[in-house]
Amino acid sequence: MKKTITFLIIQLFVVYSYGQVTGVVFDEQKVKVPGVNVLILGTANGTVTDMDGKFEIDAKVGDTLVFSFIGYEVQKVGITSNNQTLTIQLIPFSFDIGELVVLGYSSKTKLEISSAVSVLSEDKLNDTPSDDIGGLLQGKVSGVQVVTSSGAPGGGSEIRIRGVSTIKPGNNEPLYVVDGIIGGTFDPNDVESLTVLKDAGATGMYGARASKGVIVITTKSAKSGNTVYEFKSSYGYNIADHGNVDMMNGQEFYDLSSEQYRDEDTHEIDKIKFYADYPKSLQSFDNNWLDEAFKPAAIQKYYLSASGSSKKLSYYTSGTYYNEEGTYRKTGFQKLNLRTNTTYKFNDRVTMKNNISLNASKGTTYDYMDMYYTYLGVPWDKPFNADGSSRYIDGTNAKKLSDGTGWWSRDPINPFHTIDNSDHIYKGAGADYDLSLDIRIFDWLSFSSSNRIGFSTTKGHNYVSPEAAGTYKNKGYIAESQDIWSGGLSTNLLRFNRVFGDHSIDGLVGFEFQRGYFETLGVSGTGLPVGFDVPSVASSEIKISGSNNEDGLNSFISQATYNYKGTYFLTGSYRIDISSNFPPENNVAKFPSISGSVILSKMAFMDDVNLIDLLKLRTSYGVTGDPEIGSSRYMGLFNLNTQYNGKPAATPYQLQNLDLTWEKTNQMNIGIDLELLKRVTLNLDIYSNVTKDLIILRAMPPSTGFENQYQNSTGHLDNKGIEITLSTVNIQKGDFKFTTDFTFAKNTNMLNDFEEPIISTVGGVTQIYQNGGELYTFYLPKWLGVDAQTGAPVWEKITKDANGNVTLREPTSNYSEAAPQEVGSALPSFTGGISATFEYKNFTLYANAAYQYGNKVYNATRIFMDSDGHEPYYNNMNPKDDWSRWERPGDVATHPSMQNNSLSKETSSRFLEDGSFFKIRTVSLEYRLPKKWANSIKLSEISLVLTGNNLFTSTEFWGQDPEVTLNSGSWSMPGVCDFKYPNNKQYIFSLNVKF
Amino acid sequence: MKKILALLSIMVCVAVFHSCIDNIDVSPSDQISTGSLSETEDGIVNVTNGNYALFKDGLTFQGFQDDNNCYLRQYFQMSDFAADDIVCGQKTEDPLYYSFTYTHSPDQSNSRFFWYSSYKIINGANTAIEIIEGQTNQTDEIKQMLGENYFIRAFSMFNLVRFYSQPYAISNPTTDLGIILRMSTSEPGEKARATIQQTYDAIIADLTKAEGLMNKPRGKEYASKEAAQALLARVYLNMEDNDKTIEYSTSVIESNRFSLETASTFPSFFANAISHDETIWLVAFTTVDSRGKFGSIASMLYSDGNSGWGEEFASIPYREKLSANLADVRWAYIDTLYKDGVTVDKKNGIEVFYITKFSFQDGDPNLSSPVLFRLAEMYLNRAEAYAKQGNEPSALADVNEIRKNRGLENDLITSVPAGKTLLDVVLDEKRLELAFEGHRYFDVFRNKRDMDRSYWGYHIENLTVGDINLGTKPPATIANLIIEWDDASKIYFIPIDEINANKLCVQN
Repeated sequence: MKKTITFLIIQLFVVYSYGQVTGVVFDEQKVKVPGVNVLILGTANGTVTDMDGKFEIDAKVGDTLVFSFIGYEVQKVGITSNNQTLTIQLIPFSFDIGELVVLGYSSKTKLEISSAVSVLSEDKLNDTPSDDIGGLLQGKVSGVQVVTSSGAPGGGSEIRIRGVSTIKPGNNEPLYVVDGIIGGTFDPNDVESLTVLKDAGATGMYGARASKGVIVITTKSAKSGNTVYEFKSSYGYNIADHGNVDMMNGQEFYDLSSEQYRDEDTHEIDKIKFYADYPKSLQSFDNNWLDEAFKPAAIQKYYLSASGSSKKLSYYTSGTYYNEEGTYRKTGFQKLNLRTNTTYKFNDRVTMKNNISLNASKGTTYDYMDMYYTYLGVPWDKPFNADGSSRYIDGTNAKKLSDGTGWWSRDPINPFHTIDNSDHIYKGAGADYDLSLDIRIFDWLSFSSSNRIGFSTTKGHNYVSPEAAGTYKNKGYIAESQDIWSGGLSTNLLRFNRVFGDHSIDGLVGFEFQRGYFETLGVSGTGLPVGFDVPSVASSEIKISGSNNEDGLNSFISQATYNYKGTYFLTGSYRIDISSNFPPENNVAKFPSISGSVILSKMAFMDDVNLIDLLKLRTSYGVTGDPEIGSSRYMGLFNLNTQYNGKPAATPYQLQNLDLTWEKTNQMNIGIDLELLKRVTLNLDIYSNVTKDLIILRAMPPSTGFENQYQNSTGHLDNKGIEITLSTVNIQKGDFKFTTDFTFAKNTNMLNDFEEPIISTVGGVTQIYQNGGELYTFYLPKWLGVDAQTGAPVWEKITKDANGNVTLREPTSNYSEAAPQEVGSALPSFTGGISATFEYKNFTLYANAAYQYGNKVYNATRIFMDSDGHEPYYNNMNPKDDWSRWERPGDVATHPSMQNNSLSKETSSRFLEDGSFFKIRTVSLEYRLPKKWANSIKLSEISLVLTGNNLFTSTEFWGQDPEVTLNSGSWSMPGVCDFKYPNNKQYIFSLNVKF
Repeated sequence: MKKILALLSIMVCVAVFHSCIDNIDVSPSDQISTGSLSETEDGIVNVTNGNYALFKDGLTFQGFQDDNNCYLRQYFQMSDFAADDIVCGQKTEDPLYYSFTYTHSPDQSNSRFFWYSSYKIINGANTAIEIIEGQTNQTDEIKQMLGENYFIRAFSMFNLVRFYSQPYAISNPTTDLGIILRMSTSEPGEKARATIQQTYDAIIADLTKAEGLMNKPRGKEYASKEAAQALLARVYLNMEDNDKTIEYSTSVIESNRFSLETASTFPSFFANAISHDETIWLVAFTTVDSRGKFGSIASMLYSDGNSGWGEEFASIPYREKLSANLADVRWAYIDTLYKDGVTVDKKNGIEVFYITKFSFQDGDPNLSSPVLFRLAEMYLNRAEAYAKQGNEPSALADVNEIRKNRGLENDLITSVPAGKTLLDVVLDEKRLELAFEGHRYFDVFRNKRDMDRSYWGYHIENLTVGDINLGTKPPATIANLIIEWDDASKIYFIPIDEINANKLCVQN
């Protein structure tokens, strides 16, 4: 193999001659334009114009130079002679259609691309100061579903591109590619452009890991020769948004509690018994636990960058500091990002890029149980002492007293006291170093080597003081853990580019190698002296854990694009991946893809149609994969992580499966791009993705000693959908401009050809994945309401015949007779967003909304907060307007009698709610100071922005937030709402300056 | 220049290629492949230790590790919470509640975990048995290890058949369904349940082998010849084979390896069972195994105000039995919570009498090494067999042997009291002696007695504090106060996971 490559390179060793092309670029007003990108088509070789609009580039006869600049049409100029001098006049264009799109391994103009990709420029992405790229994407790209399931400071979001194409638990996030290399870190402020690759025509190049879509990030580089400084600062507030959860006050909870005393014969409240158990004085006590726990919290972000270039060197360097205080007691997050990108031209042929990205973060997080008790605390209990300190409560002093000093909450735990006497801190740091070398061997052939080494570490610190009530009283508890990840990746490509008259062909071929090493170390102990919180002082129950893990991927990559007259395009790619996650016999996978497009508007018969600026048809087909099941999932294993009587012990852990192999998705896409009157842009895509050899954790009979085994299913998961993006300039008159961007994506998900249903249960909630059904379909007894005569809960009983066909559906009040049935999926049927921008002189008013329709959410918090008296000492939330409780025979009610409530809170469709929502994500008003004012204080641009985030949500969902996790894993089931850190309403003021 | 560049490119390419195309196979750092267990000498030892560890460890189940889930915690809760020695002091969404209320379902998580972890232990035992039986030169130490694994498999099967099948003595054992027998690691996943008789036959076959193999005892933390005999005595008692029960109980009693605790040592027995002579077999918990408020066996039964939930207490009928003689040292394991030094404190209207048989190893309220076999049980098993044979002197002698050592040497039973049978006397003593140790639930039903829980507690569904009047018994109209011995619902459902994935398995 090695010999072949060497031979190949030598074979290609043919001499071609180069010349220096020089030129100058003007805009429509004959003003020289600095910072214009100049690129040789089909290569990564390029330069930018200097302050005088001039450029120099090595190009040969037959090369095509591409000139691109934001707001102007892309121009291509063929080189006809060596040492040619060019004068280019840019043509303004309201749509950046021709801008270069970075696709990871290569860059192409939009016209050349035959696959489904969406591009977000820096300004459209960063419409609000944030540390979370997912939150910034919500509602902006069709087919990209974003779920922000927690408002915890520093918390991220979940991103799903074109639905969910895998069943296995674990990571379903798209692949990130930063500056052409898989993986990497960045701050949103450093992003120059973001490209979402949605079909196999684009993602096929990433083969093994592309099934979940790819997000390609390009970080900033110098725009002009002169040094430009940019400073952005934002300051604002987070306010906890509990959604429709309105916990009862003292009086409301008192009234609810009396329902337990409704006499079964008279149907009146037995007040004698009730007052005996619940003294009347309780009504006067009212502590609002949520108001005490959640306070408005400051959020701030500062960004400073400098960039510039000389003939040999260009650089961009930036720093970002982000600090978000949490609304919940004692939580917060801060992060520092530093980045330096430099490009050095050794000579006309050799260019080197060094990108360094550093980040460090620190967060203070919370314990789930504290959040749980905060919501469920009984309003008659006082969490604070007279001096404002949190009250100490334990089993010895928690008494149900009537004088206001009592403790009525179910458990003798004051979450505020626990919070004040414990710490949950995590810290992280990471570094990425990229070194890229571009060597132009001949004018048509270049070699590039892109390499990254990365390192990241996180440390967790969990501490409970010996003074905290609970299991660690007088002992204390400390647990610390540290994870270290290090890894490297090397991509080595030969790129070529040939033009023969009207025909041109370019492409690349090469190898990629990736390795990752993960190490973890943990220690915990008790028996701490008061006031000390490090592991060294632990005196008892000292435990350690530590292990490491390794993975690797070797790949062959190739791609070629053929172009005829700039009108017909055909791209093919082929990738081979070898992953360490599969048994040696099955670890190779091949990923071909092909895509083609034709620009109809360039054809002769369209010449007379002036209405249409662009009409393009695209289609693609390809195969992508997903190896992310973790290492060694095919091996038969015994765990060595326990002990018996202080001696090593091995316990059965995993069943062997040497047949385990890659899961692959066959993707097909057809799309149309249409531009009318330079005001309307429409992109429409229809796709069909079929995932085969699905890796599933197939349930084994537990009597084998194993719950499940990793297997490839015979079934396939089909995602079909349509995506529409419509951008229009609605009004443009004088200084006023009104534009809207509208995205819509409908995805249907269906399972077929499975040998048997897959049943998944987490926390008592069950989902079934079976033929003809959707992924994440809830499988629960169906709730029919309340028996009007008895007040008992009613479920549906199903009788089936020998063939499994339903013969009878009837109501039953016996829960065990109510067999589970399919009652809806956690996946939405459509998602999308709307953005509107109004510009008038120096003002810009912008609004962005996101919507989602048709998904079900299981509201598990209602088991506690709407408990029918099953948990009499947990507070309840105020009911929805159309809810009612059964009191006496004849009542048509939604909630059962507290006297006849047997198993009413057990898992059923009762708590399964419609999760559709429409959410105003962002509203912002920007004012740009007139240039002369800015210039008068030696600044080039100043703008002031007021931003409001998450201001309004319209939903029928009666819980904290209809945005709930779609992660499938150990602790979470897609579509289940548990107690969580509430999302925030944000109000932010920003000042942005350039000089 | 170009040549240099081309050469440079080639060199970079080849160097990277060379360094990276090496073998990319990786192995886990803290796990061992099943195949290589037999390659090292300590493989068998580690697997055997692992099988013991599975009785105490919290295992990942349904994707995560719930602190509640540990074999022994579920074993004690599923048996004793369904009996009449412990009263429920608080409604809870923990599935332990269903044992109190007898509202069992196939998807209750405690039973699902118990089933799964039982069979994981059986899988581990099968692995060890297959490796050892594949070896030609077996030393006495290796045979001991083999015997221990047979014992572990039998113990797990026996507990399964008692929770998931009708009691042998009141069933039709040759036709009623027992459990799924897993006797090797290479069986197909789907397999039907054996009959109760076949299950008991398999248990006895394992124990008979185990008894013969174990001649190198390793300490009370590990199974021994006498542990196998003790389990055989328990098994035959369930089968009402009185002769065999007497034979095996006697073998253990006369082995002279154990002696009954005395009135003075008994109060410190459970916290220090490893070093006490009455213990036949226990599962060793060391300080690192202390599972705290969320996972210890003790946490539901006792709290020092912070250590546990302390929501289940000694029941009225149990305390009434114990009150027959206040000199009874078995009061040592009842810890009354006083409100003000005099009045007994109440939780949700129920008087708080904590149970401390699972506390105070190394002073830790949440730590103990649960005793699964002790000598007193052998006397009482033998007494029950004598009683069923009508041998009153021998039965009373065994009962009195216990009473002599529990501070009741002045209150021995010389004849069957009026209104009671000899079996009543034996079962009463067994209840007093072995309360909270996972016996009562089985002893009541297999002897065709009803489980009478006519006392206030939250086993009564929808009870409110105001309903409770400790001066009276709850009205007999309340459902489920008495579970009749032939009520089929007293046993647990086969867990839903088995039913879904094993089409050959029939539900109860």
